[in-house]
Amino acid sequence: MTVAVIPALRTGPGYWWHSFVMMTRWEIVGLRLLLPITVFVQLLTGAGFVLGVGLFFGQIPSRAALFLSTGVIVITLATVGLVLGPQLIAAQKAENTYDFIWSLPVPRSTAAAAWIVTNAIIAVPGMVMALLVANLRYDIDLVVSAAIVPGALLTLYTATMLGYAIAHTVKQPMLINLITQVTIFALTGFSPVNFPKEQLPDWLAALNEFLPLSHMANVMRAGLTEGVVAGLARSYLALSLWAVAATLVTAFVLRRRA
Amino acid sequence: MTDWTFRAVDVTKSYDDGKTFANDRITLHVEPGEVYGLLGPNGAGKTTLVKQVIGLLKPSSGTMNLGPHDLVDDPDAARQLCSYLPQAQMPINSFKTHEAIAITGMIRGGTAAAVAARRDALIEALDIGEWRDTLGAKLSGGVKRLVGFAMVTVWPGRVVILDEPTNDVDPLRRRLLWEQVRRLGDEGVAVFLVTHNVLEAEKSVDRLAIIDRGRILAEGTPSSLKQVDRGRLRLHVMLAPHTPTPELPPFVEDHTRVRSNLIAVISEAEAVHGIGWAQELMGIGIAEEYALAATTLEDVYVRLTGDVAAREPASS
Repeated sequence: MTVAVIPALRTGPGYWWHSFVMMTRWEIVGLRLLLPITVFVQLLTGAGFVLGVGLFFGQIPSRAALFLSTGVIVITLATVGLVLGPQLIAAQKAENTYDFIWSLPVPRSTAAAAWIVTNAIIAVPGMVMALLVANLRYDIDLVVSAAIVPGALLTLYTATMLGYAIAHTVKQPMLINLITQVTIFALTGFSPVNFPKEQLPDWLAALNEFLPLSHMANVMRAGLTEGVVAGLARSYLALSLWAVAATLVTAFVLRRRA
Repeated sequence: MTDWTFRAVDVTKSYDDGKTFANDRITLHVEPGEVYGLLGPNGAGKTTLVKQVIGLLKPSSGTMNLGPHDLVDDPDAARQLCSYLPQAQMPINSFKTHEAIAITGMIRGGTAAAVAARRDALIEALDIGEWRDTLGAKLSGGVKRLVGFAMVTVWPGRVVILDEPTNDVDPLRRRLLWEQVRRLGDEGVAVFLVTHNVLEAEKSVDRLAIIDRGRILAEGTPSSLKQVDRGRLRLHVMLAPHTPTPELPPFVEDHTRVRSNLIAVISEAEAVHGIGWAQELMGIGIAEEYALAATTLEDVYVRLTGDVAAREPASS
């Protein structure tokens, strides 16, 4: 039996694709014990949030119900990217498995791409469930268009890369978890995701213009409704800037090797 | 033909703006087929050094090259050319043994068929066949360690870095693992072995460096490092707890004290006097037992790295 001694370094699209496929397999097998329960929790939280807010208020105006239902799926997607991803990396750091995973000979971008695909697998069932439940429970006018695809992809990408940037930049696992918890708290409470921004105080609405969450809600909502979303181009632009920034920070941190 | 020798020159890794040195001007080379040991106490800087080889850390200064590749400038090449078994356990709780090994092999660039063949051979060679379909979460620490070893050596690249590979592994399978380490060397892979298990290393390595506080204290083959002690014996005296080091007779050439262990180096010609002295110490209750033996690599190691703070000042 001869040991394989690498003849030459691998490069090019074939290498990238092979690495991406293998890393996706690594992620999915790696979550084998966790994946069913995670998807199940996403299903429950999506539906639970839609129904729970309805219970709280009794009667909900249809515009509020529309904002709520389309906002819930943004929260589902953003939670997976911004909270689950960083928490798994925090766990890698806490359990000292980070070094092995990041010593694997794959382009860094394939690990990120594999994680984005995994996030989609985790999040999409919950999102669909939330919309179905909302449609049954409230009298809302969902108009699903092709715009949901780029909207959801950009939101997924930005949320995942923001989570990545936080998780790789912050060294302490506990601190990573703390930051992601605060983020999700702000996401649900203080960003116009589940409600129109007119309901926020002016300064908070202005602040949200510079944060990614309300723009995520805008681009997603644009693919699910008609005549509700304004300033869509600006939201795409803002979100793209966040996506680029998060990608650059992650790339910088991973290359710095401090 | 390309020379695939790994060369590190003046590698320094400092923290706190250059105030603390994890590695201090380390220069070494490892040839293809060589098993090279890095020995040193905890915190000596061994892991920091190998993390720089694989590109997880960047040296503050110095160079690392493997064949035509600059590993510091090109960490992507470093990760393709080197594989790394960290000291911590592998993240394989939800992988079956055979999956973990095969997926890693394919990530490392092997084709499915070639990786499967080598995986099966490794599973047999390491005698872990009974856990082939077991999830990582259900494996004992030692078996998990062996699976980790198989993961990083199934498609190894040119340099394999093993950080304490035998931790938790039972004595019989340790031997199987060392056989595989040797075989990697025979096949032309350069093996970096990080350990503080001196006796195991003595049997397995071709050359080694003893490293402490970020610096290489000695380097060579196990027998060349013991050369200094040739013709000498180690008189190991176990002192009663909390006893100060007794006055040393003039024939003691060197000594080290680590806690209650007093290790005196004497020449073979003084063996009888040495035993007489040790028996005398036992007679007056200062020592509890003694042993006289040939010097080992461990003596060299203890002499070089024995904690200065734990040593008694030599009586004079």
